Amino acid sequence: MKAGKNRYEWMIAMRFLLRGRGQTLLIVLGIAVGVAVQFFLSALISGLQVSLIENTVGSSPHIQVLPADRLPVRAGPGVSGQNRDYGRVLIDERTEIHSWQQYVNDLKRDPRILRAAPVANGQGFIERGSAVDAVVVKGLVAPGGLDIYKIRDKTVSGIPELTSDNALLGRRIAERLTLAVGDKFFLRNDRGDRVFLRVGGIFDLGAAAGNELVALSMDRVRSLFAISGVSAVEAQVRDVFAAEAIAREYGRQYERVKLESWQEKNRELLTGLRSQSTSSVTIQFFVIVSISLAIASVLGIAAVQKQRQLGILKAMGATDRSASRIFIIQGVILGGVGSVLGLALGLLMGWGFVVGTGAPFGLEISARTLFTPIVLALLAAVVASTVPARRAAQLSPIEVIRNG
Amino acid sequence: MADIVLRSRDLSKTFFGKVDTPVLHGINIEIVRGAFTALIGPSGSGKSTLLNCLGLLDPPTAGEIEFDGRLIRERNVNELAAFRNANIGFVFQFHYLLPEFNAYENVLLPCWIRGGKPAVETRREALRIMERIGVAAFKDKAVYELSGGQQQRVAIARALVQKPKLVFADEPTGNLDRESGRAVLELMSELNRESNISLVMVTHDREVALRADHIYELVDGRICKYLDVAKTGKAAAEAAVEDRSCTIK
Repeated sequence: MKAGKNRYEWMIAMRFLLRGRGQTLLIVLGIAVGVAVQFFLSALISGLQVSLIENTVGSSPHIQVLPADRLPVRAGPGVSGQNRDYGRVLIDERTEIHSWQQYVNDLKRDPRILRAAPVANGQGFIERGSAVDAVVVKGLVAPGGLDIYKIRDKTVSGIPELTSDNALLGRRIAERLTLAVGDKFFLRNDRGDRVFLRVGGIFDLGAAAGNELVALSMDRVRSLFAISGVSAVEAQVRDVFAAEAIAREYGRQYERVKLESWQEKNRELLTGLRSQSTSSVTIQFFVIVSISLAIASVLGIAAVQKQRQLGILKAMGATDRSASRIFIIQGVILGGVGSVLGLALGLLMGWGFVVGTGAPFGLEISARTLFTPIVLALLAAVVASTVPARRAAQLSPIEVIRNG
Repeated sequence: MADIVLRSRDLSKTFFGKVDTPVLHGINIEIVRGAFTALIGPSGSGKSTLLNCLGLLDPPTAGEIEFDGRLIRERNVNELAAFRNANIGFVFQFHYLLPEFNAYENVLLPCWIRGGKPAVETRREALRIMERIGVAAFKDKAVYELSGGQQQRVAIARALVQKPKLVFADEPTGNLDRESGRAVLELMSELNRESNISLVMVTHDREVALRADHIYELVDGRICKYLDVAKTGKAAAEAAVEDRSCTIK
């Protein structure tokens, strides 16, 4: 009985909408454009952010366990006594972690953490013939260490193995020094000690910094740079945005080391992403407001236009609640049809954008980006239709009949 | 003792506004079941207001209404709406059909309101009524394509579809040309005679009123004349209706 009664309200709502076809079409298009813009904007910005974050932290550690108090210490003349030693960071006892195995084990056991590995860092020079080039040297442990930097995935030639004399070179260095797989070169440390190495593989990490790396086995780096422990323990987490919280949690547990997350090192990027999200939310908010106002005004006009009909329906026995429901239902229909149409339009816009501009990132099409605009549009439609609905409920049939 | 379907006691109505306008003063009226009752009187005498009060569309300021022996107490508007739907049909001067629906759908609207999609039996009955009234031929036409007389007939079919106890008609021919007006009137008195539906009609046309079984004349919100045509006889009734003098009881 109840459901049957509702059906007449649906039927009348449908007829009211179909009768004012032009008006209905306009408002549906209005909602559709609003939903399309919302979907497109949020999918685009999410896609952009995902790609930015992937570029930033995809091939680098999310959390680093570093020696406590690793402040750059301005040194006096170095061991060689030369002036250029001024301003260089002294390799200090405190720049090492000695009991690193414990940290690696702890981190590896944590289900939130994808992989963890120790690393030994150094700064050296590659000598080849008369050419000398400054490089960042990383001593890694396979496979975890290689995977944090995605070296195995990004190797463009050679084999990504860290055997004793093998060095894996970033593409930029290899090009600059015209080194190919199998070539040999000298790597000198800051004290002038040299080792003779062979190019085992060349990788391309895309980002500029990554391609300036020389990766060796950790033991090789430790002996070359006289590190008895390791420089850091590095880890990647499953949810990149949880890195800061996880780092803080471990930071409280460990006393002799400090923990840094990628977020702390990329404050500017994060601020940028956040303001991007804020502006996107702001735009979406105003789109919703304009949709609501449009629905409220169109249905408000409709409620006035249909006064006669509502009056006669009430005289024939329609209740106040039914009269108001007729308008809420119109709102739901407008919102529903408009948002489905809008989503189709938004997908089309997104496809056009990706194909048309050749954007290096895709749209983020997720439950959130898909359903948020629909839910918001429906909600806006229902809220907006309460205004004419109330008017419809309050209308007295006698007013209509008395005034002809 | 006549079978009374509707009775009012001391019914008064005042329109409140900047200046309060009393329209009805202590109306006592009895509507006999199955009879045709006419409410006549000059414009502004309160006929339509009385009809709307009796039809439970407009709440009276004072007094009570008894429907089928049951006192209609101050029910809320929604209960009254359901009560109207089940018991009362209306035919107004301006036919008030819904332009969003065709003729057949308009006739079925009270059934939709009552219980959702009408059953096959109800639809058949509606069609039968439309046939009787002579509008079945254009049941699928949009109402604005129909002539005034045809529209009013559709409105009559709609008023009858739920088999109400009472049909209220407010100047149903007022907006029609003479020819279609007469036809509509003819139809309404025929329907009244055929069925047990009581008909209460407001009219300012004395000729129309003379077709009725009972005539109430209103002047300035008071009943000044009551005629039971069967008792007084047609000729006496005619003379009484033509007599412009009025004794307020």
